[in-house]
Amino acid sequence: MLTMNRRDFIYRSAAFLCCTALCLPDNLAAKSGPISGPSDIRGKVFKGGAPATLWKWSHEGFMYKKLQDQKVVCLICPNRCILAPGDRSACRSKVNMDGTLYSLAYGNPCAIHNDPVEKKPLFHFIPRSRAFSIATTGCNLRCLNCQNWEISQAKPEEVRNFELFPPDVIKAARRSEAVSIAYTYSEAITYFEYMIDTARQARAAQINNLLISNGYINRKPLLELCQVLDAANINLKSFQDDIYRKLNGGRLTPVLNTLKTLHAQGVHFEITTLAVPGYVDDDEMIKQMCQWILTNLGPDYPLHFSRFFPRYKLNRLPPTPVSTLTKLRELALQEGIRYVYVGNVPTHEGNNTYCHACGKLLVERMGYYIPTYNMDGNHCKFCRQRIPGRWTA
Amino acid sequence: MKKIERAILQVVAATGISSVVVQLITIREFLAQFQGNEFIIALILFCWLTLGGIGTLLARQVAQRMRASVNALGILSFLLATLAPVQILAIRFLRDFFFIHGTSVGFYQTLAYIGLLITPYCLLLGYVLPYSLFVLRHEIPDYPGARIYITDNLGDVTGGALFAFILVFWATPLQAVLIANIPLMVATYLLYMPRPTPGAIILAVAATGAMAFGIVWEKQSLVPSEGRLVHYQESRYGRISVHQDQEQYTLFKDNLPVFSSQNIAAAEEAIHYPLSQLLKARRTLLISGEGGIMAEIEKYHPETVDYVELDPKIAAVQFQFNLMQPIDGLNVIHEDGRAHLKQTTARYDAIILNLPEPDTFQVNRFYTDQFFRLAQTHLNPEGILSFSMQGFDNYLAEAQRQKLSSLHNTAARHFKHILLLPGQRIFFLCRNAPIDWDIPALLEHRNIHTRYIRGYYYGNVTRERVDQLNALMDPQAPINRDESPRLIKIMFSQWFDKFATSPVAFMLVIATVSLVYVARMTRAEYVLFSTGFMTMGSEILVIFAFQIFFGYIYFQIGLIVTVFLAGLLPGAWIGQKQIRHLKATLITADGILISLTAVLIIMVMTLGDRLPAPSYLIFGFLVSLACGFQFPVALQLEGAGAGAVTRTFSADLIGAAGGTLITSVVLIPHLGILWAAAALIALKLSSLVILGGGHADNES
Repeated sequence: MLTMNRRDFIYRSAAFLCCTALCLPDNLAAKSGPISGPSDIRGKVFKGGAPATLWKWSHEGFMYKKLQDQKVVCLICPNRCILAPGDRSACRSKVNMDGTLYSLAYGNPCAIHNDPVEKKPLFHFIPRSRAFSIATTGCNLRCLNCQNWEISQAKPEEVRNFELFPPDVIKAARRSEAVSIAYTYSEAITYFEYMIDTARQARAAQINNLLISNGYINRKPLLELCQVLDAANINLKSFQDDIYRKLNGGRLTPVLNTLKTLHAQGVHFEITTLAVPGYVDDDEMIKQMCQWILTNLGPDYPLHFSRFFPRYKLNRLPPTPVSTLTKLRELALQEGIRYVYVGNVPTHEGNNTYCHACGKLLVERMGYYIPTYNMDGNHCKFCRQRIPGRWTA
Repeated sequence: MKKIERAILQVVAATGISSVVVQLITIREFLAQFQGNEFIIALILFCWLTLGGIGTLLARQVAQRMRASVNALGILSFLLATLAPVQILAIRFLRDFFFIHGTSVGFYQTLAYIGLLITPYCLLLGYVLPYSLFVLRHEIPDYPGARIYITDNLGDVTGGALFAFILVFWATPLQAVLIANIPLMVATYLLYMPRPTPGAIILAVAATGAMAFGIVWEKQSLVPSEGRLVHYQESRYGRISVHQDQEQYTLFKDNLPVFSSQNIAAAEEAIHYPLSQLLKARRTLLISGEGGIMAEIEKYHPETVDYVELDPKIAAVQFQFNLMQPIDGLNVIHEDGRAHLKQTTARYDAIILNLPEPDTFQVNRFYTDQFFRLAQTHLNPEGILSFSMQGFDNYLAEAQRQKLSSLHNTAARHFKHILLLPGQRIFFLCRNAPIDWDIPALLEHRNIHTRYIRGYYYGNVTRERVDQLNALMDPQAPINRDESPRLIKIMFSQWFDKFATSPVAFMLVIATVSLVYVARMTRAEYVLFSTGFMTMGSEILVIFAFQIFFGYIYFQIGLIVTVFLAGLLPGAWIGQKQIRHLKATLITADGILISLTAVLIIMVMTLGDRLPAPSYLIFGFLVSLACGFQFPVALQLEGAGAGAVTRTFSADLIGAAGGTLITSVVLIPHLGILWAAAALIALKLSSLVILGGGHADNES
């Protein structure tokens, strides 16, 4: 039997403690990055969060189901919030009042601007045109880097708002000489009722409808919307479900389904992916994403890689290096996607459109300013190749 | 002096040295990991002092159940030394364990994290001090508690000075922890001499190992997940690191990215928005700077660019990593920007502030009525002042509207024209000549080429957006003044809004617990509680006032902090000699405290910057002298029992905790300096009334 004297014990104990301690930082360091902190930040129903009474900007929900005990389930987005009377949905826009689902975001936009369509970004949809852009409050996700958190993470009653019912939106869009109405900024899916009623009237008035969205919507309401939708930009925030849950409070699959539905319905759309350092800049993930796009959607839908800047709660990361964006763009082009852009980087080559057939410069963009335009209708001026998208009003 | 007495007093003094250094390093570490606003600074100090007070109270419970021993004191002291580096490393490593990497964290999460990580150390620290007394009393019955208090203060002063004047310049945080704990480990080891036990040896080895481990892994613990760490140093103002990710260098200050080598938009906006308005930009003053701005200024062919940066290390790092390039006519001045303006006779065509948001008293000084007046007097007749605030994309939230409106109204008192330009940052252009919103047109007219502004301005900063933003300014928003920093209050609201939380629940809990605690106090304890409250409150007021008039001068502020500790020692020494008329003595000391605060505030309000800087030091010393004086007197009044000792120690600590929190986050932001001082005086008056209104509990 081995014996140990007191001195041995002390030495061995000290050695053990030192070894344990030396291994500790590596183990803990591995916890940083995408696998640190809570794994899911999805929003929850606000129990008892509904106001005492409805207001003038209330509208019965477009798609919901009544359940037992006066409960309702909202069927607009994959959150499928089940609301008891007096509850408010995770997106903050819907409430259950005595067994009926109401939207509190109807005709009360809190942000109205007249933006260049390139700002959405939509690079293949009537360049140099303006989009009359509106938003109410609310979002069904919880993105930690949200640019519009002041409205996306607010209740309709908490903000200053304009009064603009659907007919007024059409009039205002005409006044501002916009060829399109963009449902944007916060999350248009959460004011679906307002959006679809406005979009229907816009279609009748020959104004285009643009959906700028996270794509977190169920198939049925999306199919309804597709009837009147002219173009969309869908934020594909990552190609990993765990990152979706951690950074955005959502799931990946519903967004992919949205892209497939838009494709099937023949709606022109563009995809935007924000390259967040350490989370959404992995070559392998981007390759998989491109392969999925090619397999399910084809090579023609423009893909934008946007530069991340520290914002909102995700403000302790550096901006994305420009070379990362360049690399991701090249990677996506190599994979076979024909139109890949770089966003939030002035004067980057990736701002421009090059013909996928002849490789010549079609549209030179300096921000929202277009000094060079070599399109002839929907075709390349040089080789007559049809370029995906819609290039004329 | 008995040998054992000397040995224990050495441990107490060494504990004082160690604890103050560890406290300061812990605060810096938390500020590097979380939002460095005034609320968080106060919260850390509050938690530290409160937990220390609770630890002290716990000592009484234990003392009633078991006998205090030298051996146990030794174990506790070694444990304290071991916990110090563990605590610092835990703050760094566990952040990403509990919170999502790269994110900021809200108030309650920060509070929970602070509480969780400092509880072991602070409870133990609070426990050790009275425990030392109990050990001494076991050896020497009736040993005076005041002597422990004095010895501890001696250690505190030494530790404070050691950190502020030596360690902060020469040592990294974990090196500083090691250096500050060497006296404690040696003193503790000496407790066991001449025959150290195996346990003492193990603990000594463990403590040394923990500290050595900390130093070895210090840099490793700062390595970022993205890119690599190419530069790290601690300056007296905080942590500076530079991360390289491919070709991009990003400068982090206290772990927040501040400048990046590839942020063209920020540099162009900061420079061209103001300078494009001028016919000639011969002389420009930059108060702090950011990557790329020199290249943009150079397009105006300036004769002189005075670049004032408070922290010389920040400026050096920017040039070292090419975040900023030297240009002709550039003068780099290492000084507080406001102090520079006050001293210089120069007049500028443009004064450009590149400062963070006004969420600390230090930064708030650059957005006040007095500062704008000062800036205006240093501008040429058509000169321009510009600064920026965090922007918004599409909707101006109410708290931010109030912040911008307050700034607008404050600047409007000194400038005829003010234009706000929206964007990711909102720029304020202030001038006594007209301002043109069409920056690209101005630049084109001057043949100045830009990349971001030319392409994006007309989409991001449209006439419609400019008009909307400027029309939203609230004429009723309060004026932000030096002595009444209303912006700080608004910044707190904005911070709470961002995390959809409110401090109300926290404040209610604190108020309830405080009321219960105060209701159970003896009169003498209340005197110490209110004195602790007033002393810390006064210290914050004095630093606040000093910064307003003299700028942020590191050494002098370090001296103020030191004198606020230094007076405790002679005060306690004099106080312990007092054996008669204890109640009257306490009343007199209370009266002195009230008078001192009243005199200081009257002098500050009437003389302003004509009040000589040493006055602040004299005030600090006298206040702490009175505070130190009261402690042994109150202790004598309370009796010499273990319960009395722990309760009085606790009252002092918990009062100091309340003073820190309430003065920083409630009194100054809501009431301003004058009424904050009045509130402190009112609190002390209440102690005077309570003390004078009845028989002291144990009057001798």
